[in-house]
Amino acid sequence: MTVFRISLIVPLLLLMAAAPEVPTRSTAPELPPTVELETFAPSEAMPVLGQRVAEPDGKAVARLVDVLVDPGGRPVAAVLDFGGFMGVGVRKIAVHWSTLRFEPGEGTHRIILTLTPDEIKAAPEYRDPEKPAPVVVPVAPEPKPGQQ
Amino acid sequence: MPRKRATKTRATIGLDLLNFFIAGEQTGFGPFVAVYLTARQWTQVEIGFALSLGTITAMVSQVPAGLLVDALRSKRVAVAAGILAVGISALLLAIWPALLPVLTSQVLHGFASCVLTPGIAAVSLELVGHATLGERIGRNARFAALGNGLSAGAMGLLGSYVSEQSVFLLTAALCVPALATLPFIDAKPPPPPRRAATRRARWSELVALLTDRRLLMFAACAALFQLADAAMLPIAAGELTKQKGTHAALVIAACILAPQAVVALLSPWVGRTAELRGRRPMMLLGWASLPLRGVLFALLPNPYLLVAVQSISGVGAAVFGVMLPVIADDVTRGARRFNLCIGIFSLAGTAGGALSTTLAGLLADLAGDRVAFLGLAAAGLAGTALVWLAMPETGSSEASE
Repeated sequence: MTVFRISLIVPLLLLMAAAPEVPTRSTAPELPPTVELETFAPSEAMPVLGQRVAEPDGKAVARLVDVLVDPGGRPVAAVLDFGGFMGVGVRKIAVHWSTLRFEPGEGTHRIILTLTPDEIKAAPEYRDPEKPAPVVVPVAPEPKPGQQ
Repeated sequence: MPRKRATKTRATIGLDLLNFFIAGEQTGFGPFVAVYLTARQWTQVEIGFALSLGTITAMVSQVPAGLLVDALRSKRVAVAAGILAVGISALLLAIWPALLPVLTSQVLHGFASCVLTPGIAAVSLELVGHATLGERIGRNARFAALGNGLSAGAMGLLGSYVSEQSVFLLTAALCVPALATLPFIDAKPPPPPRRAATRRARWSELVALLTDRRLLMFAACAALFQLADAAMLPIAAGELTKQKGTHAALVIAACILAPQAVVALLSPWVGRTAELRGRRPMMLLGWASLPLRGVLFALLPNPYLLVAVQSISGVGAAVFGVMLPVIADDVTRGARRFNLCIGIFSLAGTAGGALSTTLAGLLADLAGDRVAFLGLAAAGLAGTALVWLAMPETGSSEASE
C-alpha cells in the first residue's frame, strides 16, 4: 500500500516542482489610479521575521519570530527565540521595540539587541499570545543600567 | 555450514546498520523542524499548525500502520517504503519549504515513522525468532542510539555553522545507506502463520487480543512512562537556556548525547536480562528511573548536574525501547498481530507524550518548573506502581523463574 502511495506521490511532486512559478504581477502596467508604486532599497526597509538577532559584538543569539503592534499598527515589542540545541530548550521572550537596533543593508541586514545578558536572563518567558505579554522595557531616560 | 553462517553474520551486521541509519534519518525531525521553519520566515501560527499535523498523523497512523505491516508478506518492503518516505519528506522540507510541501512532508513523515518502528521489529523477529528476540532488540537499540547520537552531533554542527537546510539534506542522504543495508538482511520467510479459518474466528481472535490483560496493562504503563518522560528534557533545557544564555547550546547537546551513550551501553544487557530473568525486573528498573529523575531535576538547579541527571533517562529509554517490541511478541506469539500490538503500544506512548508537554507546560505556568518536575515524577511513580502491582510477567515460564 505504502509503496503504491509513494509511487503516486513522487511523480506528482516532480510535476509540481517542474511547473513554472506563478508569474508575479508585472510591475509597471495598469495600477489603479488610487495607488502608486514606491520602491524601497534594501538599505531603507528590511524584512524582520525569522532574521537573526545579534548582540552588539555581532554574535547571533536569537531569532526574531513575532512582532507585537499597538492598535495603530506601530511595533511595540518583538518576540525573540533564544538558544537551544536542535530545537530543544528554546526560550521565547518579548523585548520592547526600542531595545532593538536595525541596520538594513545590501545583502546583510542586521538586528542588534541592546539588552545585556543579565537583562535577557531576567526576562520572563513569553508563552501564550492570548495572555498579557510580559515585555522587557528599558527604564525611562537611560536604557543602560542593569537589573530593574 | 560456513556459507550459511556467513549469510547470518551479514544479515546481523546489515540489521545493525539499518538501525543506525534509520535513527540518523529520524534525528532531524522533531523540534528542529520548528527552528528550520522559523529561519524560513514561517510565522509561529503556521509552524504550530504544521507540527500539530505531524503529531496527529503519527497518532492516527500507529494502529493502521501496524495492521498494514502485519498484512504485508515482506516486512523489508515496508521498511524500504518507510525509509524512502522519510527521505522524501526531508527533501521536501529542504528544497521547498512552502505550506503545501511542508504539510505533505509532515504527514508523510508521521505515517512513515509508524511503519518503520514495527517494520524493523518484524524484520528482527524474522531474522532471529522468538527465543533471542530480546537480545536482538537490545542490539537494535544500541545501534539506533549510536546513529541518533552521532547524527545529532553532526546535524547540530551543520545547523549552526552551515545552514538549517543542510540538516535536511543530510537526512535525505542518509536514506541511501539505510536502503543499501536491506538486501543483506536476508531472513528466511516466516512459517505460514496459524490463521483462523473463518472471518468470525478471526474476529474473536482479535477481540481476545484487544482484551488481553497483558496488552492493556503494558499500554497503560507505556502511556504513563511517556507522560512522565516526554516533558522533562524540554523543561530542563528551557531552564538551562535561561540560566546560561547563549552558552546553553553545548550543555543541551550534552543532555541529548549522554543518554544515547547510556542507551548504547545498556540496551543489549537489558535485552539479555529480560530473557534470563523475566520482563518485570527490567520494567521496574526503567520505570522507577522516572520518579528519581523528576525529583532530582526539581532539587538540583545546577546546570552541570542536569547533564548527569538527564543521563538517567538513558536507563528508562533503553528499557522502554527494548521492552515494547519484546512484550508485543510475548502477547501475540503464534497470532499474526505482532505489528498491530506494537502500533497499539506506540499509540499509548505517543498519547502520553503529547499529554506530558501540555500538562507540564500548564503546571510550569501556574507554579513553576519545580512543581512541573514533581508532577512528572508523580506520573512516573504511578507508572512504577502499575508495573509493580498489576503488570503480569509476560516472559516464558522458565524466564520468570
